[in-house]
Amino acid sequence: MIIVANGKTNEVSQRTDATDALWVRLDELPGATGWQMKPQGACLGELCVPLPADRRGDWIADADGWVWFCYSEFADHIGQKHVRDGDVWSLGSVPEVRRSGLESAIAPDFEVTERNGDTLRLSDLRGHKVVLFTWSSW
Amino acid sequence: MAQDSGGPAALDKWFDRAAPTYRCVVDPTHHISSLFGWVNVPSAAWIDEDGRIVRSAEGAYPAETTYRFGLGKVRLGDGAFARATRDWIERGADSEHVWSAAELAERIRPVDDDTLLAEATFKLALHFEATGDSERARRHFAAAEHLAPDNWNYLRQGWTHKGTAYAHLKVLRRTNHLRKNSDKSYYDPMGLPDENYRRFTEPEWLWTPAARRLKQLLHR
Repeated sequence: MIIVANGKTNEVSQRTDATDALWVRLDELPGATGWQMKPQGACLGELCVPLPADRRGDWIADADGWVWFCYSEFADHIGQKHVRDGDVWSLGSVPEVRRSGLESAIAPDFEVTERNGDTLRLSDLRGHKVVLFTWSSW
Repeated sequence: MAQDSGGPAALDKWFDRAAPTYRCVVDPTHHISSLFGWVNVPSAAWIDEDGRIVRSAEGAYPAETTYRFGLGKVRLGDGAFARATRDWIERGADSEHVWSAAELAERIRPVDDDTLLAEATFKLALHFEATGDSERARRHFAAAEHLAPDNWNYLRQGWTHKGTAYAHLKVLRRTNHLRKNSDKSYYDPMGLPDENYRRFTEPEWLWTPAARRLKQLLHR
């Protein structure tokens, strides 16, 4: 199964008894979605979303010798849009991340590869003025 | 930051021609525009030393720019953004062009459910384009276009999947339609005091110089 999210594509395991929902193994969750499970809930950077007590049992399950998280149900809970075609799932932005970014006006961080192969992380440029400029060939 | 699903194959000739001295990246998945809420190119942000966005703009051309477009050429932009950028670099927070956080929040486009769904759909289309599944790519590009009809990045990238000539024709037809039937614009105004804002650009066809010369002769 393939998850497209945060500008990256990740191949992840598929639960053999999976229904139409997107189940992600907990150990593959951070790489595929950016979220990781912590005692306080599912966390993406500094944002943590407690799992509703009445859904926890439905969203976390043991299967195939692994612990799985029902990501599509969680995404619905936080308002993150997702689209599926076959074995490919695409995840949109997390609304809370966009909203909090707007309120703070802090530029969202990203990591991309430069033409020369170096990695460019926006937060590494703190202390400098940055002019970010997009263009395309079309 | 080149935002183009064509990747280096589509972009290298432009990079080589510009011979840039600044840092350059290729973003084939439009990830950065998604983060900043941009819907067209060129778009730009000024980010201060503390990592705060202090201005964001679309149609941020460095100067008046003329380029070939289909059978003609178009004229876009002016020097206002470059002048304002130099002012900000020199004067920092004292520049009159710096936005407060409240101004920034006011100016950035609101995000609704369709916009968020369009983003996921568009990224799915890009995935299928990258993996060579053109049929599914087209289907999802069309769905994204339907969900976010004002996002020129989605429209033009999706149209380009069917060919450059097709994409150019679609841009001309859509801008013509919007010019006549709506109050929408191709770019939002940058809000700079000396900008030469054009709601849409008028294409200048290859035969325009000849027609102009003929008119001059007839007026004599």
